[in-house]
Amino acid sequence: MNTELPMATSPSGEPADWLDAALAADGASHRDDYLDDAGFTARLMARLPGPVALPAWRKPALSLLWAAAGLGVALALPTAASDVARELFRLAAHPVSLLEIAAAIAALGAISWVGAAWALRQD
Amino acid sequence: MAPPGVADAELIARVVVNDDRHAFSELVRRYQSQVRATLRRLTAGNQALADDLAQETFLLAYRNLKSFRHEAKFTTWLHRIATNAFLADARKRKEELLGDRDGDVVDDGDSGIEDAGGYGGSGEGHERAASLKLDLERAMATLSEAERAAIVQCYHNDLTHEEAAWVLNCPVGTVKTHILRARQKLKLRLAAWDPEPDTAA
Repeated sequence: MNTELPMATSPSGEPADWLDAALAADGASHRDDYLDDAGFTARLMARLPGPVALPAWRKPALSLLWAAAGLGVALALPTAASDVARELFRLAAHPVSLLEIAAAIAALGAISWVGAAWALRQD
Repeated sequence: MAPPGVADAELIARVVVNDDRHAFSELVRRYQSQVRATLRRLTAGNQALADDLAQETFLLAYRNLKSFRHEAKFTTWLHRIATNAFLADARKRKEELLGDRDGDVVDDGDSGIEDAGGYGGSGEGHERAASLKLDLERAMATLSEAERAAIVQCYHNDLTHEEAAWVLNCPVGTVKTHILRARQKLKLRLAAWDPEPDTAA
């Protein structure tokens, strides 16, 4: 047995003595010992909760709901489409300034970024 | 499977972000030995209980990995979970453990620790070391759970007082007190190994 004291002081703050040497030697052998896995990891992995999977019907159902909502709005506001078309035509016929064009481009850019962020979001 | 060189932080990120099971299994493979060995010490050599608690430790680690903030090393965080699992289990099994201790250790008591004739070490080094190791394990089993946990964290896991306090979820002063009391008890039970016994006592 190694009689040299490996620690100047014990964790309790007292000068290291034979007990510290014994505990330190025991601790060192404990750290050096490798316990073989022996199926431990496999048993643990089998006990992990299953991955959270979204049901397959979720996306088609959502698409259907959006389509139904759009149809409902169109039916509820029968003149909306013609109103939008008329306003667009009026805007196109109206001469526009560079500032208005820049504002429109900025608005479209902002909408694109928001759309991309929404599309790339992680549920 | 993740290659062995991949850092813990990267494996943890893979588990948290992508629920990567392979990354988690690599983490388990890396640290199962340390965690199981620590729990074997804490449970005074009860290997079956230690492995059950180790399984519970890694399951809890998996569930709470998102809350791991790298404020401590991953191993220290695992030791904290393992120690908490052990202490919670010990509270549940208090009566049963006390019964076992009465039967297995206390009755064995002082007679189980032979007259070692001092902690020297000349010719029969290995035999003496093995004998001391055995006596130390027996003496450790007589400590309270909190005292044993403090000794295991500071001596076996080589943690500082501050790290041990974080693992044990108690003030540093409490850790020092546990270690002081544990040392007193161990010295008493292992008095036969003292190379310079106090003749006045």
